[in-house]
Amino acid sequence: MIISKMQLAIAKKDMGNMLKNKNLLLPLTIVPIMFSVFMPTVFVLIMLLSPLDRVDMEGMEKLFAQLPGNSQDLRELGLNMFLNYILPVFFIIIPVMAASVMAAGSFVGEKEKSTLETLFYSPLSLRQIFEAKIMASVSLSVMVTYASFILMILTVELEVFLITGKGWLPGVNWPIILILLAPAISLIAVALIVKGSAKAQTMEEAQQKSVFLVLPLALLMVGQFTGLFLLKWWLLLILGVLLAVIAGIVTKMIYGDLDYEKVLK
Amino acid sequence: MVAIEASNLSKVYDTGKEALKNLDFSLHQGEVFGFLGPNGAGKTTTIKLLTGLLTPSTGKSQILGVDPSAEPAKLHGFCGIMTEHAQMYNLLSGYENLLFYGEVFGLEKEMAKARALQLLERLELTDAMYQKLGTYSTGMRQRLSLARALLHSPQMLFLDEPTSGLDPESIWRVNDLIKEMAKDEGITVFLCTHQLRYAQEVCSTYGLIAEGELLAKGNLRELRALTMDALTLELKAENIPLTENSHLEKVAENRYEMKISEVEEIPAIVQRLARNGTSIYEVRALEQSLEDIYFALIKRKGEGHDHL
Repeated sequence: MIISKMQLAIAKKDMGNMLKNKNLLLPLTIVPIMFSVFMPTVFVLIMLLSPLDRVDMEGMEKLFAQLPGNSQDLRELGLNMFLNYILPVFFIIIPVMAASVMAAGSFVGEKEKSTLETLFYSPLSLRQIFEAKIMASVSLSVMVTYASFILMILTVELEVFLITGKGWLPGVNWPIILILLAPAISLIAVALIVKGSAKAQTMEEAQQKSVFLVLPLALLMVGQFTGLFLLKWWLLLILGVLLAVIAGIVTKMIYGDLDYEKVLK
Repeated sequence: MVAIEASNLSKVYDTGKEALKNLDFSLHQGEVFGFLGPNGAGKTTTIKLLTGLLTPSTGKSQILGVDPSAEPAKLHGFCGIMTEHAQMYNLLSGYENLLFYGEVFGLEKEMAKARALQLLERLELTDAMYQKLGTYSTGMRQRLSLARALLHSPQMLFLDEPTSGLDPESIWRVNDLIKEMAKDEGITVFLCTHQLRYAQEVCSTYGLIAEGELLAKGNLRELRALTMDALTLELKAENIPLTENSHLEKVAENRYEMKISEVEEIPAIVQRLARNGTSIYEVRALEQSLEDIYFALIKRKGEGHDHL
């Protein structure tokens, strides 16, 4: 897909509008801060500072046994477990949320404010307009995810260094999440909003659709917490590829089903 | 050269509503065509069909040789479209909005700036150009929408109720701009409105529509000829004999009106009244306005004269 200058103008405007709209900007900052600063801080402090006998490790032992390496240090194991296996699942919520908020504003918000029709009177085809808008939503979502990751790394490194004098190395799950899962899941979230935008009349209504994406993530979390499985890198890679394929299919479906009348209904 | 050609164009919505019935007409380049009718008559549906935003249920149309249903994006490249539902961005200023649409229409940045400034000045929006659109009044929004539609120097202009919400002075300016564009640049204008008096000031030809059906099309002279009573004879007189009551309608004290077909009828009427002792102070022949014609046609349609 080659983006033209005209499409780029739409994408730039969509991102700019998002940053100017306080109602949309709020969830785009609060949720990432929660998962990249607040949650890691709480866990790092619990794992590294609280007396170990007060930290309930029962039930986690099965999971610790699946972790790579030979460390027997419960604090190190716990930290590794949380930062490399549990936090990444929470992190996937960031692109789901960011893409949903952005797409809801970009598609349903514009429909609600009657600005979408004006764009339709441009010399761009419906597909080109949708490509530009989808690109804006996915790009912003990925950017927010990357910024959150950098913030999380800085927070954790600083805290771990101040407490232990050592650094922390992110596991292989992180690049898979950032390179594969974040863009794929962003695209699926955007596609769900776009699909639902013909029926949804308000942005809030459209955003509710993304709940369907959070549900499987919750199952992943529950699975890990209960010791059912550990989200190993190869499992995450398979999941990422699967999501990328699904993202490709749903995007194709959207482009194949575009019609001015249906979109403006 | 034919600018718009529509044949047998119909639209039935999913709800079953028949919004447009077998519309047939053609327009020549440079015409300012007033498409007139009340709200809900099918005007906006027609604009959306002619600009490719709706697919016709039957029939087809061509705008300067382009089929709107097949190549809407190509059509939008040379058409300026302003409808009531096509809004711009409240969080951007009027100027930023125009620059954005300039980019979307593929204008070079400097070209877009120059054209935007020229149109803002022409439509008296220069003072408000840096204000957010959200602070604009309805009239200012309308004028900015017109500027947006003209930004890429279109060959064809579709305007849906362009003067709604405008004060009389702004209406005059918009009219002036439309007439000038049609005259100097040869732009064809398809203008929808329910304000018939306004249309009479700006349009060269007209199409009258009601309940999705085109009642008549033509210039004012042709439309007047369609109705039997092309003129209204206005009299200021006293002592009208009772025998004349069936022809003359009393509209005020000593003021009477009578529908006639041509001015040649007037001398005989005046002579007859004078012979019967009527004192005549004033005689005027008023040509039918668009409004009179529209209502006459609606009345005839109601009486079952389907072919006008």
